[in-house]
Amino acid sequence: MKIKSPHQFLSILFCVFLLSACATSGPVSDPENDPWEHYNRSIHKFNTGFDKALLKPVTSSYRKIAPKPIRKGLGNFLNNLAYPNTILNLLLQGQFRKALISTERFIFNSTVGIFGIFDVASNAEIPLHDEDLGQTLAVWGWDNSRYFVLPLFGPSTVRDGVARLGNKYFDPVTYLATEENIWSPWVLDKLHVRIRLMNQEEMINSSYDPYTFIRDAWLQNREFKIYNGDTPALDYEAFLEN
Amino acid sequence: MKSPLIKATLIFLLLSFSLQTQAMEPREIIQQSAHEVLTKINANRADYEANPEKLIQLVDDVLMPWFDDVYAAKLILGRHGRGVPAEKIQLFASAMQDLLVERYANSMLGFVSKDQLEVLKLRGKNTEKLTRVRARIALANNQWVPVEYSFHKVGDMWKMFDVTAEGISYIITYRNQIGPMVQADGIDAVIENLRSGSVKLKD
Repeated sequence: MKIKSPHQFLSILFCVFLLSACATSGPVSDPENDPWEHYNRSIHKFNTGFDKALLKPVTSSYRKIAPKPIRKGLGNFLNNLAYPNTILNLLLQGQFRKALISTERFIFNSTVGIFGIFDVASNAEIPLHDEDLGQTLAVWGWDNSRYFVLPLFGPSTVRDGVARLGNKYFDPVTYLATEENIWSPWVLDKLHVRIRLMNQEEMINSSYDPYTFIRDAWLQNREFKIYNGDTPALDYEAFLEN
Repeated sequence: MKSPLIKATLIFLLLSFSLQTQAMEPREIIQQSAHEVLTKINANRADYEANPEKLIQLVDDVLMPWFDDVYAAKLILGRHGRGVPAEKIQLFASAMQDLLVERYANSMLGFVSKDQLEVLKLRGKNTEKLTRVRARIALANNQWVPVEYSFHKVGDMWKMFDVTAEGISYIITYRNQIGPMVQADGIDAVIENLRSGSVKLKD
């Protein structure tokens, strides 16, 4: 079989992982949120290896080659290019006022900010929203979903993995890549995501178990995004006994 | 009264005494301590950057009197703390607190001006068992990092026991790190590890 695009390559890789992961079993640390811990840990290990061998070195070189102002402009450009994803999902969640503000932000940055290179909207204190299809599905009722580490993409849930498949209809960056075969914004976006993780690397690496550290932080942060910062209070009392 | 100066001093002393004993509300505690730490950092930034131990001392002095280290330790240990003698819990609590102060001090150094921590209005249900103070910290790129401080009332004093940044709670994150460590190596080894550096990597 001839592999035509990186997208197809990823799909094949994904299937291979699903098959290979069924082989392991045993007790897990968080049966409620992470019943597939064995599978997840093996993918996590693969992802860490991939990061060490390719993603991190490439990201570091990119960081050295591209000076900070250029990276900042590119980062702003990519964020703005992907922003219609947020607007569409705000609409799907019935958040019409926020969708309007976000549209204003997008138009302002795309014009005055020259294709989004300058984030003039933030300087003008137009709020930034962060929505995606995974969050919309959660708002629609799929609020509990098990942790599911994706090959190469990393932490996710089943819900957010499914939502990713719909991304090509929502996120212009993914659309350009999968439908128009223009991959450079997509690849660049992944490098920028990786750069943002650099600050947390030391904390992750100095933790006792990086896998659970990343999982717990990611799941909590995801819930925080779904609730738009208004997460319900934790039941601390229960922690004393468990 | 012999002189107006003595009178003024006395009044001042009485006043400051009563201010100190008056129970401070959770929002004031955060407002005041963040203000104090950030003002001092801004005044002597180079010094604090060169001597991180001074910064740790500052956070220790200003913020930690409000921190309920033993309660936080019990929440982190959960069932692994059952049957552990009180003095060991205290040792563990102090070691965890040092780790927290170090992380907190480092992140405070990143803030440039004292206006960058803004305490927001209380929202939701707030009780003596749990009151959540929400704040936001401005970053250089005009974005905000939302933080939340969890308080409960001990006697007539409010004490903080959890810090949450972007939804990620200190207690929850460390619970799942410390629990398996205690199970594998025992609490003594964990205390020792915490004191000798940070939490060690598994493999």
